[in-house]
Amino acid sequence: MAMTSHPTASWDAMQDGSVFYRKVEIYSMQWQLSDLSNFIIAGARYGGPFALIRNTSKIVALDRMAFTKPQIQLFSSSGDLIQIIPWDQGKIIRMGWTFDEELVVLNEEGSYRIYDLQGDHRQYSLGSEAQEVGVIDARIHESGLVAMTGNLGLLEIKGWEGGKPLTLANSTLNAPPHCWSIIPPDQTISRHVEVLLAHESTILSVDNLECIDQRLSRGPFAKLAVSPNGKSLALLTKAGLLWVVSSDFQRSYSEYDTTREGANSELPSQLVWCGNDALLLTWNSVALLVGPYGDTLRYPYSSPSFAVSEIDGVRIVSSERCDFLQKVPDSSESVFRPGSASPAAILFDARDHFDRKSAKADESIREIRPELAAAVDACIDAAGQEIEPYWQRRLLNAAAFGRAFLDLYNPTDFVNMGQTLKVLNATRYYEVGIPITYAQYTHTSPRHLINRLTARNRHHLALRISAFLRLKPDPVLKHWACAKIVRARAEGEGAAGDVDDDALCQLIVSKFEAVDGKEKGGVEGVSYAEIAKKAWDIGRTNLATKLLDHEPRAADQVPLLLNMQQDRVALTKAIDSGDTDLVYHVLLHLKRRLNLGDFFRLVSEPSLVTASNLLKVYARETEREMLKDYYYMEDKRVDSAVLSLEDSEDKEVTERISAIKTAAKFFSEDADHSFEAKAMDEALRLLVFQQQLEKDSDGQKKYVGLSVNETMAACFVNGLAKKADRIKADWRVPDKRYWYTKLYALTSIRDFDGLDAFARSKRSPIGYEPFVNHLASKGFNKQAAAYVSRCDPAKRADMFVACGEWRSAALECKERGDRDKLEELRAICPNSLIGRELDQILSTMN
Amino acid sequence: MLSQGHTHPPPPPGSSISGDDIHKSESDSGGPALNIGVFKEIAKRALVDALNSVNGAKTLVLERSLAGPLGLLTEVSLLKHHGVDKMFWLESGPLNASTTNVVYLCRPQVKYMMIISEQIKRLTAEHATHTYNLFLVPRRTTLCERILKEEGVFGEVNIASYKLEFIPVEDDLLSLEWEDTFREIFLDGDETAIYYAAQALITFQQAYGLFPRIIGKGDAAKKLANLIIHLRPPRLATVSVALDSLIIIDRSTDMITPLLTQLTYQGLIDEFIGIRNSHIEVDPSYLSNAPPAPPTGTPTPSTSTSAPVITPANPKKKKHLLTASGDTLFNALRDLNFAVVGNRLNREAKRLDAEYKGRHQAQTVAQLREFVGKLGGLQNEHQALRLHTSLSEQIHPLTRTEQFNKSLEIQQNLLASYEPAAQLNAIEDLIAQQAPVQLVLRLMCVASLTSGGIKVKVLENLKREILQTYGYSHLPTLLNLTSLSLITALPLPKIPLYPPPPPFAAIRKHLRLLSDTPENAPTDVSFVYSGYAPISSRLIQCVTQKGAVLASVGPADDAAAAGGAGRAERTVAHPISGWKGFEDALKLIPGETVDVIQKGDEGESPLVAPPPPRDRATTTMVFFLGGCTYTEIATIRWMAKQTKGRRYLIATTGIINGSTLIESLAPKGAKFEPVA
Repeated sequence: MAMTSHPTASWDAMQDGSVFYRKVEIYSMQWQLSDLSNFIIAGARYGGPFALIRNTSKIVALDRMAFTKPQIQLFSSSGDLIQIIPWDQGKIIRMGWTFDEELVVLNEEGSYRIYDLQGDHRQYSLGSEAQEVGVIDARIHESGLVAMTGNLGLLEIKGWEGGKPLTLANSTLNAPPHCWSIIPPDQTISRHVEVLLAHESTILSVDNLECIDQRLSRGPFAKLAVSPNGKSLALLTKAGLLWVVSSDFQRSYSEYDTTREGANSELPSQLVWCGNDALLLTWNSVALLVGPYGDTLRYPYSSPSFAVSEIDGVRIVSSERCDFLQKVPDSSESVFRPGSASPAAILFDARDHFDRKSAKADESIREIRPELAAAVDACIDAAGQEIEPYWQRRLLNAAAFGRAFLDLYNPTDFVNMGQTLKVLNATRYYEVGIPITYAQYTHTSPRHLINRLTARNRHHLALRISAFLRLKPDPVLKHWACAKIVRARAEGEGAAGDVDDDALCQLIVSKFEAVDGKEKGGVEGVSYAEIAKKAWDIGRTNLATKLLDHEPRAADQVPLLLNMQQDRVALTKAIDSGDTDLVYHVLLHLKRRLNLGDFFRLVSEPSLVTASNLLKVYARETEREMLKDYYYMEDKRVDSAVLSLEDSEDKEVTERISAIKTAAKFFSEDADHSFEAKAMDEALRLLVFQQQLEKDSDGQKKYVGLSVNETMAACFVNGLAKKADRIKADWRVPDKRYWYTKLYALTSIRDFDGLDAFARSKRSPIGYEPFVNHLASKGFNKQAAAYVSRCDPAKRADMFVACGEWRSAALECKERGDRDKLEELRAICPNSLIGRELDQILSTMN
Repeated sequence: MLSQGHTHPPPPPGSSISGDDIHKSESDSGGPALNIGVFKEIAKRALVDALNSVNGAKTLVLERSLAGPLGLLTEVSLLKHHGVDKMFWLESGPLNASTTNVVYLCRPQVKYMMIISEQIKRLTAEHATHTYNLFLVPRRTTLCERILKEEGVFGEVNIASYKLEFIPVEDDLLSLEWEDTFREIFLDGDETAIYYAAQALITFQQAYGLFPRIIGKGDAAKKLANLIIHLRPPRLATVSVALDSLIIIDRSTDMITPLLTQLTYQGLIDEFIGIRNSHIEVDPSYLSNAPPAPPTGTPTPSTSTSAPVITPANPKKKKHLLTASGDTLFNALRDLNFAVVGNRLNREAKRLDAEYKGRHQAQTVAQLREFVGKLGGLQNEHQALRLHTSLSEQIHPLTRTEQFNKSLEIQQNLLASYEPAAQLNAIEDLIAQQAPVQLVLRLMCVASLTSGGIKVKVLENLKREILQTYGYSHLPTLLNLTSLSLITALPLPKIPLYPPPPPFAAIRKHLRLLSDTPENAPTDVSFVYSGYAPISSRLIQCVTQKGAVLASVGPADDAAAAGGAGRAERTVAHPISGWKGFEDALKLIPGETVDVIQKGDEGESPLVAPPPPRDRATTTMVFFLGGCTYTEIATIRWMAKQTKGRRYLIATTGIINGSTLIESLAPKGAKFEPVA
């Protein structure tokens, strides 16, 4: 294609010239494939690669290119062979691409592999059920898949981290659907995946809750396709009628009879969306674009083609070339549409005049002066839409020219577009082979593009772009380092031996430091641990250790250290990280691997005290037997004792007795804890005593579990004063406490006579105020008042008041000649009746 | 408990987090520093996202101790709106789920994993088909995964995280609402809480930028500071302009303060009634004029073993969210010494009465309309007055008991080192009278901490008394208190098992802990304990208000005491210069000293980039690692009123008092009677 052919050369009008579509040839293919229909193909979006396997259901003549063993070939969009993946697993059911441009391959046994572009893979399974009944089909989207099992159940996988398969609602199908498709979770209202199954003449929509029959009657449907934004659905009936509806089946948009044009008697081989508003149907020698109003454009192909739906168009590859077909973007149209009088078109024209030194340039600018800013914006945007650098430049020049006439114009868009186009042109270069459009680039982000370049081992370009866009180069560097290590080994195998560990480590570290220094980011963000892991994985332990030493984050070093059986270092690093969960991770790992003795010895090192603390917390909840062993081995007698006591909590008396004995023994072995040992002896005696009390009461009364005080009180309450006194003697209960206990106990059973006798038995060591206060607080005012006379005279008036005996209080004042106090009482007395009484007494005082 | 709708004003919509939202226009009052309401929105949205990730109706199984924090974020209706059909407590026993989806919400603790495994195994054995989802707060851990794997149910459960961190409790107070953090860190040596606290503070920094300076005291504070610095994501590189520093107070640097009886209004409510997750349980008559509860009531999550409705322990009591937002009276009362609360209530009653009488003065229709307009506000104020009058009436007699006054006297004497031996006898008397064991243990710890220990003979006698009176099950508690050096036997052995208590007398002198101040117009933070300034508060003052450590501020006039506003002369806050000037005092307190300056680079700006306010006040954030008391909060609020140009944002792992602290140090089986 000539570099300077006018953009409109690739345009075709539709809808009576009101809308244009353009089909641009991006690459002539480098591959030597004669007929794409011999292959099953999966194409990645955003100008991504193609995965091809031979379609074994088709008989082909074996030529030179043929292969006997099944294999998956990965090609870039320009037909460059990226990778060959030999396949020795069960029959492939489906291939698809993730958002991160990894290839998902699902086999009939229900296991799926995820390959990166280097051919490395990880493998996951859809579970045992899927394995038993087999998988018959699947749909793969950017962040998950839905598989159909042999018994027509639907299993969903979310994400690509090997998540657990979720069973979707039962579809009630009894035979495989005519065709089916899914709406990815991020495009549904519920944010959960929705499966569409063509069944008989209708469509069933299934999610994880229910299966809804959409009650259509136009089927059976042979093909269905969901638009890239998930809003529309294209249905193709077996009779060849194309019908577009909203994906909630509420609105019908358009219809088109594909049999209208006689040549297309058979159903198309592909039905794919071109952006969100047109559909592409492909037959062996023709591709037919059906617009939103049923208008069509025909594109002849000399060999079978394969189309990949994009968010802003459709990519079509054939054995010869790779085309991109899309609706002409508004900005391009406004500039280039024949006869366009839009400000953008005039501005573009004006620049032309300017270059030819024609005065018309100035005239044109004047003419569009009010819309000049919009015209500049349109030219900038149109530049982004062009693939040819020649036209990009001319459009940007026009924008720059217009800009010069504007007083205030923010140049950010202009500068960004210039930068972006540089990036896009570099990635579109056929050797790289990513024909990404401006819309796709903004949709997926620059970071994403850099990751894609990195995944293709285009480290140099990715780094240059990172630097150009001021993005952190770390992910690229990391990938580079890993690739470097792998390659060094491959090279080494052929030659004398591995490339020297020190040299390689040095090379990697210096590269990181060089780039990071340039970026002013410091060493942050560099993850040596992951690189070290790579080295470890391919068996270069020494290199791994060396690299790991450069890892600044302790947490990241731990998993690898564990793999390398560097237990002590791993545990130390985990503790240093401050993340207790990481410490647990190491602990549980070591506990499984080491024998208990070695494990305890390691954990109990003084510098690893955090680890032993955490082990104790964990073991207290789950493994008390292990904890017992640990304390025993470590001579932690106090802890052993307490553990023994805790274990006997809520147990039978006999068990508690033995636990207390054990505890007492542990305490007694420790010179610093003779008090505790003694206390345990007391506790033991108490339990035995309480048992006897219970026995004596024929099990009618409960004593076990009470404290010494409570037992005494219970004895008083149950009329066993002698027993209570025995407790006082045997446990050497001090008088004061004994008196309070008895006071409280007798009050609680209202044994006021007993209390009186007790009060008189000897001089109270606690005085009589507690009697008054306690009785009054329990509402026994009369009984309380009886003890006031035995209290400190100075406090008596207040104490009478506390018992509600105002008159006695007043008389007390009178007796003591304390007029002030009496007046104070008068002031606070609760009612006039008492008031009068107090007044009367007051009057009798002189 | 997930409560009925409470009176928080609607927080700003989280989607439009902008500089304006974060920074209130008022520039130099003692008012709130940053609008922390966004954290509530963030936490709420994360919860909704978590629930929505499970399609359809679901049964929610909730860890009991998470209900309180969640109740501060959301109402039951929100959960219902997002498909929660029934709620159960996460407790052992069979689960009776009626929906296919079961959602577990709990912290990543071993015991919960065991319960969940047990329930799933049981349901699987019964051939029940459920989809199990487990949301771990604040993150999923390999430990939990390991346990679920060992129990053989790992494959059955979808595990995800629900990152619940700081919850705004008041407009100047963020809490992580964790219980038992002190025990975990300092007794068990489980430093998970430090790690999670660092994560929470990093999240905070993501909203407001890096703390320009991190200052702290204590070994755990040091660890926290290190983690904040080392775990900082590379993207977070802009230094905050709104904040001037973060002060980390490690609970272990001041064990005396929480053990003392709090004497502020809110402190006493906590001591006597108990405030849990900002809620109190009170007699319904206190709230009688309150608008009727939503007709649906509160569907209390029920024990999974029983029918889905349980009656609360005390059916008569009602829950009330005790907050200053929407309750201006409480705002004025909460930090006052209880001694002056009565007066303040009287004044308020008189003012309200006068306002009501205002209707008689209404002559014209316009005046009448104006009065009617005020009526709603008056009724609210009336309600608040009723509540606070009732509360203080409930508390007042409790402060008149002999036991209460005796314990205060013991505390005051111990703090002044006045006849320590006599105080130990008085504690023994309290034991004889069977005072609550929490109180006895608190006093005993205070005695040991203030006197450098207790003579072994006296101590053993006290311990014996405690064991005989309250039961031998308290023996492990005593051992725990000993291992934390809260109780120390004298003489110290040559090689002490545990570090000796810090030299209290010297600290008291250096930090001027004893300081008399009028209760109605405080001149020093010591008003919260009637003459004793908390060490923690003094440590903060050593950084932010150096002059106040050396001498009380001038006598405050009545106007200042009345409203806190209108004081003409407030000194300008001095810039943060670390611990400068108090190095000697700091050496007396155990633990490392932290003072780090965080530098940013030209990275991406933080989520919320406020314009540099030159004339605006800066904000100092204080973080209590291991919990703080309401009195400590009151002292910080008092500090904020003393100087202009500095505001405070208080953050804590949780709110504690002496009794909850002591209870957390007991073994699980220990018996505790409620204090009041």
